[in-house]
Amino acid sequence: MLGTGTPTCAGCGALENIKIFCDILGEKTVFVNAAGCMTLLTVYPFTPFRGSWLYTAMASAPAGAQGVRDALDLLIRDGRLAPEEYLAVVVLTGDGTAYGMGLSATSAAIYRKLDFIYICYDNEGYGNTGYQFSAATPYAARTATSKGPRGYRGYKKDLFAIWAAHRPAYVATVIGTEPADLARKIEKAKGLRGPRLFIALSPCPTGWQFEPAKTVEIGKLAVKTGIWPLKEYLDGKVVHTRIPPPRGRRPPVEEYLKRQGRFTHLFSPTRNEEILKDIQASVDAYWEGVI
Amino acid sequence: MIRKLLTGNAAAAWGARLAKVDYVPAFPITPQTEIIETIAHWIDIGQMDCRMVTMESEHSMITAAGAAAATGVRVFTATSSQGFLYGMEMIYTVAGWRTPFVLVNVSRALSAPITLEPDHNDVLAARDSGFLQIHCATCQEVLDSVLLAYRLGENERVRLPVIVNLDGFYLSFTREPVKIPDEKNVKEFLPPYDPGETHFRAGDPISQGVVVLGGSQYSYFRYETHYASLNALGVFEEISKEYEEVSGRSYQPVEAYRVEDAEIVFFMIGSFATKAKDAVDRLRKVGCKVGLLRPLLLRPFPVKPIIRALAGKKGVAVIDQNLSLGKGGVLHAELSSALYGATDSTPVLVSFIGGLGGRDITREEFYEMVAVTRKASETGEIPPPRLLYTAEELMRMKGLQSIARVARQKGGGKS
Amino acid sequence: MFRIRLHGRGGQGIKTASRILGTAFFWEGYEVQDAPRYGAERRGAPIFAYVRASKEVINERGIINRPDLGIVADESLLLLPVADVLGGVTEHSVLLIVTDEAPGVWKKRLNLKGRVFSLSSKVIVEEHAGFPLVGAACVGAAARLVGVISRKALEKAIREQLRPLGESIIGRNLAKARTAYDQMEASAGCVTEREEPSADSYETPHWIDLPFEEAGLSAPYIHAAATSLKVETGAWRSLRPVIDRRRCHRCGLCDIYCPDGVISLDARGYPHIDYQHCKGCLICLIQCPTHAIKAIPEPGLRAKRHQGRGR
Repeated sequence: MLGTGTPTCAGCGALENIKIFCDILGEKTVFVNAAGCMTLLTVYPFTPFRGSWLYTAMASAPAGAQGVRDALDLLIRDGRLAPEEYLAVVVLTGDGTAYGMGLSATSAAIYRKLDFIYICYDNEGYGNTGYQFSAATPYAARTATSKGPRGYRGYKKDLFAIWAAHRPAYVATVIGTEPADLARKIEKAKGLRGPRLFIALSPCPTGWQFEPAKTVEIGKLAVKTGIWPLKEYLDGKVVHTRIPPPRGRRPPVEEYLKRQGRFTHLFSPTRNEEILKDIQASVDAYWEGVI
Repeated sequence: MIRKLLTGNAAAAWGARLAKVDYVPAFPITPQTEIIETIAHWIDIGQMDCRMVTMESEHSMITAAGAAAATGVRVFTATSSQGFLYGMEMIYTVAGWRTPFVLVNVSRALSAPITLEPDHNDVLAARDSGFLQIHCATCQEVLDSVLLAYRLGENERVRLPVIVNLDGFYLSFTREPVKIPDEKNVKEFLPPYDPGETHFRAGDPISQGVVVLGGSQYSYFRYETHYASLNALGVFEEISKEYEEVSGRSYQPVEAYRVEDAEIVFFMIGSFATKAKDAVDRLRKVGCKVGLLRPLLLRPFPVKPIIRALAGKKGVAVIDQNLSLGKGGVLHAELSSALYGATDSTPVLVSFIGGLGGRDITREEFYEMVAVTRKASETGEIPPPRLLYTAEELMRMKGLQSIARVARQKGGGKS
Repeated sequence: MFRIRLHGRGGQGIKTASRILGTAFFWEGYEVQDAPRYGAERRGAPIFAYVRASKEVINERGIINRPDLGIVADESLLLLPVADVLGGVTEHSVLLIVTDEAPGVWKKRLNLKGRVFSLSSKVIVEEHAGFPLVGAACVGAAARLVGVISRKALEKAIREQLRPLGESIIGRNLAKARTAYDQMEASAGCVTEREEPSADSYETPHWIDLPFEEAGLSAPYIHAAATSLKVETGAWRSLRPVIDRRRCHRCGLCDIYCPDGVISLDARGYPHIDYQHCKGCLICLIQCPTHAIKAIPEPGLRAKRHQGRGR
């Protein structure tokens, strides 16, 4: 469904997510975009979308979605558009927007029960500007603004919990490298109305520093090691859609980390046992809380 | 047609009502609030059929306004001052989308120090955005301008959003007699919105607000938008004739009041211009040949009508209710550039900065500005820009500073 | 042009009064401009509104500096410099004061050169949390004093402006307005439109070149704590809470709940009210478990003046 010929990096994990979204949502969509890597999907005069597109600004894509949704509803209500002209409104932003600058607009759109889908392609940093850390950057990752021996000193913000606290219709974490899980969640969301939000982890060869061919391998390891839990929020409940094997039987998180340049400082010239332990401990603690 | 007393805010709301707007994204800010309160009330009691959504910020409000207009409905919104600035990124952005809608700005001076009363620095911050700007001097003009603004912005040679500006307090909270046109007359003048090519439709995909890489393409899009803005001058003249037919009221891009045989002319925008008119009338009574030139349209800037009106004048007192810090009055700079080299005998321009933060401009000050400008035209010596500020005001300021104890601080100078 | 300034306190219906008066002029075929004026202060603080009315288009704007008629809905404002009720009042200006004292008393007290009329405080329509609504009666009197507003236009204006409040309130306001209108019959038309001085002689404004001052002085800083103590919000009050020590159990609740912090406890635990700053909200009265706090109308103005001298 999504056209080829986009300017995104080879092996882009975000595009992998978006491609599947487009396949399932179809062409009767308006994508409302905020500043980020995917803004460059449409560079005049080229667009990969078979539906429509509106680029807004970094902070206010959900507000743009509000305007489009309301206007379409009014047009249909007044008979100026036929009901079959219904278009789904889809906000598409990166993590810089979703976790930070756009959070207020998203909170407000959920609060207003806006009927829309939100896709956050989360590559865990400000990718479009050269990969500086964002509020989505994981602990210890090296970015253009966290080049020290310990990497990023902060912790990834729990956006899933923040969004779910608003009690929207649906929230899910997904990843394009688990296409069955992703497809099932999009289908589920498609059948609902109201705010439906997705955080799509998007392995980023450029920012995370790995070979483009390894996007799927790394994405699968993110799920297998348990560092990227796949879950959904629906009707007030959080359900994990993929539960990795218990501690000891699942691969250690360093299997995921060591394949990415942004974590090499944890392994060479010397192993940073302390940080690796911390990361493993936080993953273990998370799953202990789940099971 | 009925005639009743309306505040400037109520007149703006009436404009939206008569324009039969579909959609009103809103966010409250003093002194704009009465506009959205009035519309909300009309929706509640069934007198207005539109959807109003209170957004969480002006940035989002203007985004939603532009997005709804981009989808093909008629949109109205309103803000003021800090809110206007908070939405500034989107003011520039939606103008580039070429989506027509009307944004009423109720002028209020900018922070810091934050304050409530008006000057024009807020709206002038959008001077270069691509939004057209209509500046009102009376409550009647507010209502009429909203209707004119829709026709203007929606015109196929223009397709731009329009700001209708009115001064906080002096218009927003002030009631004046306003003629409210009949719906059927308005309908004749302002048919339902035709979005043309700008809409989102199934089976007819469109990408809007698309990225452009490369200065060449960018230059093309920006300059085309500039042309669209310039076109608005001619379009304004055309539609104002049509509006006169249905309303009996005639508007020009620049109002020239007793300018024809005037030697000295006031040049200013906004509601304080009626005070200048009052001064003109009184000065005329004692044989002083003065007039007032007031742009209603500030964007596009009506260069030619201004040159024509000022040809052969001795002097112009430019009154700026704004201040470009580090330069001076914005209108003074605008007018200077318009007149430079335009005619053989350019009048002297004397710059006055007055009415900042709602400070009054007294009748005597208008008289004195004429005297100063006349003297400059006779001697050829142009005085430096004059802030309208009196010794009494400074004395009161010193009194306040002594309460604030600023003088005690190191480096605070002498009080 | 008639230039009329109305002074009162936030909550007394001054904005509504200005709108009734403006509307009445409008029904009589006048061009009109009316507006309220308020700043950061709220309920109880001095506010004013103004009305211009002329047979010709009105080009003046903003505050009226030299009123033909000044309406004072709250006599205490006359002694409050910050309210500036007498600003620009000349021998031409007529003053209409809501007061139970004779006009002559005020004329003498304030050394007024123009005519003064009084309206008895009985014109108050109803007390609304201690704030008397006096607008309609003031407008009734003013309408007669300007002499160009018929009873019919006055009543129509009251009905129009008070419509949302319902018939019963409209009725009571109409009655008060009619009484005041009749009361001024003998002086009908005594407010006249002042001729403005000719433009060929005017007082040159004292413009100065604003001096440069360093940021330490010229930035909006306040280098001191609690300078708001200088603002005597006690002037906002129309009812004064008074503590009866005999009934006070010294529980201190009045101190705890007072939002303005104007109540302090002495060494023995008895509360004292700082009347310079008490706004008269009467939360203390409601919260006092032993009903030891009473509200009394503010003492007469002479007492206030006396207080003023004492400071």
